[in-house]
Amino acid sequence: MYLESRLGFLRASQNPDGGWGYFSGKESWLEPTSYAMLALRQGGEPEPALDKAWKLIRSWQLDDGSFRPSGKVKEGTWVTAQAVMLAGIRGVNDASVRHSVDWLLRVVGAEHNMWTRTGSFLHLIKARLDVSHEGWPWMDGNATWIEPTAHTLMALKKVVGQYRTPEVERRVRDGEDLVLSRRCTDGGWNYGTPNMLYVDLPSFPETTGLALLGLAGRKQQEFAGALDLAERFRADTKSSLGKAWLQIALRCHGRDVAGPAEGGFASSDVMLASLQALGHPQGNYRLFGAERQI
Amino acid sequence: MTRRKFALLSGAAVVGAYGGVKLQKVQKPPELSQGPLGQSAVAIIRARSYSDDLVCRMLEGIRQCGLEVRGKRVLLKPNLVEFDPSTVINTNAVVIAAAVEVFERLGAAEVKIGEGPGHRRDTLEMADDARYRATIPKFERIFTDLNRDDVSAVKAFAGEPEFYFPNTVLAADLIVSLAKMKTHHWAGATLSMKNFFGVVPGSVYGWPKNKLHYYGIPESIVALNRQFGSKSFAIVDGVVGMEGNGPIQGTPKPVGVLVMGSDLVAVDSTCCRIMGIDPEKVSYLRMAADLGHVRPSRIEQRGETIRSVATNFALIDDFKDLRLVTPPTVS
Repeated sequence: MYLESRLGFLRASQNPDGGWGYFSGKESWLEPTSYAMLALRQGGEPEPALDKAWKLIRSWQLDDGSFRPSGKVKEGTWVTAQAVMLAGIRGVNDASVRHSVDWLLRVVGAEHNMWTRTGSFLHLIKARLDVSHEGWPWMDGNATWIEPTAHTLMALKKVVGQYRTPEVERRVRDGEDLVLSRRCTDGGWNYGTPNMLYVDLPSFPETTGLALLGLAGRKQQEFAGALDLAERFRADTKSSLGKAWLQIALRCHGRDVAGPAEGGFASSDVMLASLQALGHPQGNYRLFGAERQI
Repeated sequence: MTRRKFALLSGAAVVGAYGGVKLQKVQKPPELSQGPLGQSAVAIIRARSYSDDLVCRMLEGIRQCGLEVRGKRVLLKPNLVEFDPSTVINTNAVVIAAAVEVFERLGAAEVKIGEGPGHRRDTLEMADDARYRATIPKFERIFTDLNRDDVSAVKAFAGEPEFYFPNTVLAADLIVSLAKMKTHHWAGATLSMKNFFGVVPGSVYGWPKNKLHYYGIPESIVALNRQFGSKSFAIVDGVVGMEGNGPIQGTPKPVGVLVMGSDLVAVDSTCCRIMGIDPEKVSYLRMAADLGHVRPSRIEQRGETIRSVATNFALIDDFKDLRLVTPPTVS
């Protein structure tokens, strides 16, 4: 009932162009489309509905290799990582995917420059923040954040078998180091600022789940306690989205998480339906796991 | 560049939640513009607690400002940032509920609520924490998560050939900035103008909306108000504001007022004077002085006087020099 109600909702809310909106009946965006595709995937079987969605996503690739977040937006963003991850899962291995991987490798957080590193060295930046890592921003030219970094780590780990180069391995290792360096003192992660004006900031459930997914394949001793915190977050948070990400992350890290209470889906939120379906014991949560250790 | 400016700007840039990498562009503040012709009305209405009759208070303030509402599609834009039960980060739910009733009573064609928080993805859950869902009738039916709304392009905004805004925002005839009266550790104060950061969609620009930080916080505030200010009205929740390390980690500061007006620059300047901050030293207000009135001589204060409600908000060390040194002018 729980899983089928969400998958049924997703099947019913696919747009005629093949994509999904953030909410049913809305325009297609890459992010909800990618989650819906992962949730609905049934490996090995013909999937015309998902092929149509994939075709739509590919039509959003720009000349520089990046992907636009929707048909209306003309600029490439972090969703390029989601397209690359989908390509890896679908076994697509061609020059255009390589082009997108190259774009991901070229993009670094804008704070990774001489000015801010010097400022950090001289203790002029009023925050406890390691700016020595590159990471990934939401948009090229902006600073590094946990969520786009986690998504890019997942994507690169998914395709590293096809594109194994020293640079891919270096960026993955450095990206993971960045995630580890941005951990909040409570043991989890927020959007990427663990400390502001020398005041520690709290972590959030959803970003803790995503950070843990970005670290999949890394030795768990390096983020000791984070999985226990994630379990506590999952039990306590009222955030359905946070719970869904934590469910996926904990399962990917081998934690035996109790399944959700049975129940239908009473929202129009495509992303939520997809992530809840993915995190179900019979869901496709394994698609978020690292294919191999770097 | 002074050490303090470097620290503030690079901290903002790197820490990023409110960063602006403009290390090379620290400029002398612009001369304060005379502003538009005429005067702007700003109403200061007493509301000593959230259990006061806020509908009645808002109707009085709107009447004093002469706002026309009938037939308009109204979008209420509260300030919903994060939730912490120990402090007062967000526009109080009771203020929003009162505003819904007020604009419906005044004959709006429709009244919607929209917000796109800068840090958290789960907007509805935050709204739940802030008691919006429990307090505001039919909340889920009239609320739009602006971070995940469909968008349309606007030409030449913030140095970009095209910039994207939520369709709900673009379609509104009247945007009501339901802001919170707070200090802000990068901008000095966050009021009705800064509240427009929440109309920038996370689906395009991320969480936080880091593109704005790189364009510059004051510059972005001014650009957003240049874009939307002419179809906006401000109601600032100063019943209980936030002082110190705002906008998230400050402490509650009871003031007991609602501040309203169609000129958002004048409303925010008035709020600053109430808070003991000199608006002429707040960079985004100086920069926005061609959009509205900063000078007290050009603001027609209605309702309460500034002097009768003024109370100094604690300021962090980096903003101590914003303190208003002369007593507020009473008009």
